[in-house]
Amino acid sequence: MTAVRRWAALTRRELLKLARNPAAIATSLLLPILYLLLFGQGFNFSSLLKASPYLSPTQQALLLQQNLLGAPDYFSYFAAGMVGFVAVTATLFVGANVIFDKLFGTLKRTAASPATATDIFGARLVAGSLQPVGLAFLVLGLALLLGHVGLSGLHVTASVSVLGALEVVLSILLLSVMFASLFLSLGFTIEVPQTYFAVVNAINLPVLLTSAALYPWGSMPVWLQSIASYNPVTLAVWVLRINFFGDSYYKYAAWVYLLGLLAWAIAMFTIATLLTRRALAPKK
Amino acid sequence: MPDAIVAEGLSKTFNGSVKAVDSISFRVSEGEIYGFLGPNGAGKTTTLSMLTAVLGPTAGHAMVDGLDVFRQPHELKQRIGLVFQESTADQDLTGRENLELAASLFDVPLRDTPQRVNYLLERLALADSAERLVKTFSGGMRRRLELAVGIIHSPRVLFLDEPTLGLDPQGRAGFWKIIQDLRKESGMTVFLTTHYLDEADGMCDRIAIIDHGKIVATGTPSQLKDQVGGDVVTIRPSGAAPGVEAALRALPGVTSVTTQDGTFRVKCPNGETLIPKAVATASSLGAGLAGVSLRRPSLDEVFLEFTGREYREDEGPTATDRAVFLTRMQDARRGRR
Repeated sequence: MTAVRRWAALTRRELLKLARNPAAIATSLLLPILYLLLFGQGFNFSSLLKASPYLSPTQQALLLQQNLLGAPDYFSYFAAGMVGFVAVTATLFVGANVIFDKLFGTLKRTAASPATATDIFGARLVAGSLQPVGLAFLVLGLALLLGHVGLSGLHVTASVSVLGALEVVLSILLLSVMFASLFLSLGFTIEVPQTYFAVVNAINLPVLLTSAALYPWGSMPVWLQSIASYNPVTLAVWVLRINFFGDSYYKYAAWVYLLGLLAWAIAMFTIATLLTRRALAPKK
Repeated sequence: MPDAIVAEGLSKTFNGSVKAVDSISFRVSEGEIYGFLGPNGAGKTTTLSMLTAVLGPTAGHAMVDGLDVFRQPHELKQRIGLVFQESTADQDLTGRENLELAASLFDVPLRDTPQRVNYLLERLALADSAERLVKTFSGGMRRRLELAVGIIHSPRVLFLDEPTLGLDPQGRAGFWKIIQDLRKESGMTVFLTTHYLDEADGMCDRIAIIDHGKIVATGTPSQLKDQVGGDVVTIRPSGAAPGVEAALRALPGVTSVTTQDGTFRVKCPNGETLIPKAVATASSLGAGLAGVSLRRPSLDEVFLEFTGREYREDEGPTATDRAVFLTRMQDARRGRR
């Protein structure tokens, strides 16, 4: 009971801090929204295909669907990718907060209390993983809205069931748990904010660029497809795309990709727990 | 009176060579206010960090409130309160939220929490600011909040690490008044580190003077002052003063004469009556005087007596400070705490 109370109190603290720092939320959303508003709009090459006099509408649609794994246009394909990518940008701050808590002494105070390393890590993980789910739905809402204001927007072509909606939430949640664990372990082991942000930048972009969030799958070289198939962002994005555009072009059902994500999340959670325990143990 | 704190042969070595704490042993009785007095880098905070299970020892053994510090750290943390040198309250939370968080972390019963939080806010004159974010608090308010967080669970032993650092004299006096009142009310044991002599003198039942990681003297403030042996008259000649030391030593009532940097420190039971005689003696030997001063027994004198050097509250970083700093930087570079 006391452990539950500690978790609840520490999670409440994280959520209160988050609510009082709208700049952090805005920054988390900035990159995915910029991608949607600029990259997604400017790069929507499906309009080029539609302008081609050499392809019939049926051929155009087939070509697009083959390249975009069933998505009706590139923006829709890309928007699903950005919804998944929010889990990466929004969890980045959970690790940064640990470093600032070290600098301001707050972590020292918590570590000197009876709260265990698991309590301290767990509460941050819970708060840090719930936030991206909410933000992902904001990005999803924006992507849907853009289609109604004269811009390219997300067109959901499949009927999303309750189970499908749960799969979508679960995929973002598992991706958030994985990246929150990663960034928390960095936060607990790195002392200097500059080093942390340098490492995070070195992780963020390669993760995005080796995933299927950006590129049309059909145009990716085979070697990149092989790498992307194991990228957790790809796994989450595939679950989203299966539910938004149907599963005709996918080798496995959504739950298989969810299992892959679960494995990633468990692996990263385990590593992060060990590193956090080590970081919070009395110094030798 | 049973012992609340027992330390035996406690040592801490950084970088394998710099001894921050060098095999110290001491006992603190229940309900006592025990002060660790020493300049920066003497080993005070390192000792306190070991006693509160924040830092592991290189050697030695410590018990606090009957618990083995190094084998039962979790149980220990439930029984002790700790007030750090710096403010550790969460600046993005209000004063009340900080106390509520601490109450949850320290297992204050849920039904007692609102009452306890309100009591401490009132007691430490923070009630009017309870709903303000801590980032808007003054230095004195932050120190009082730090204390409130440290005692939220009514600890049996309270550790204070330089708790009044950075406070003005009025703030310091107010802080110590609260500590003394709380000690009277609850009977808790207080272990404090300070480099303010007047604080140690006025607050502590007993003091250990620590220098270069070793306890050089221990006792009540009056016992320590008695060890100095009465008043100290300091005579500073303006030039060479051959024969003066021997002549001073021969004056009636003089118990000892020591020389440091050409200045004579003359101990005697009554300094006021000795000064005219000492001045006359120096003059008769042709020695000019640059200054004469009288010091009543004080902890400054005690420190000088046992360490052979003047006590300076603003002493700069020592070899230990530098070693600790270097260790932390190296750890940071290796990516660990």
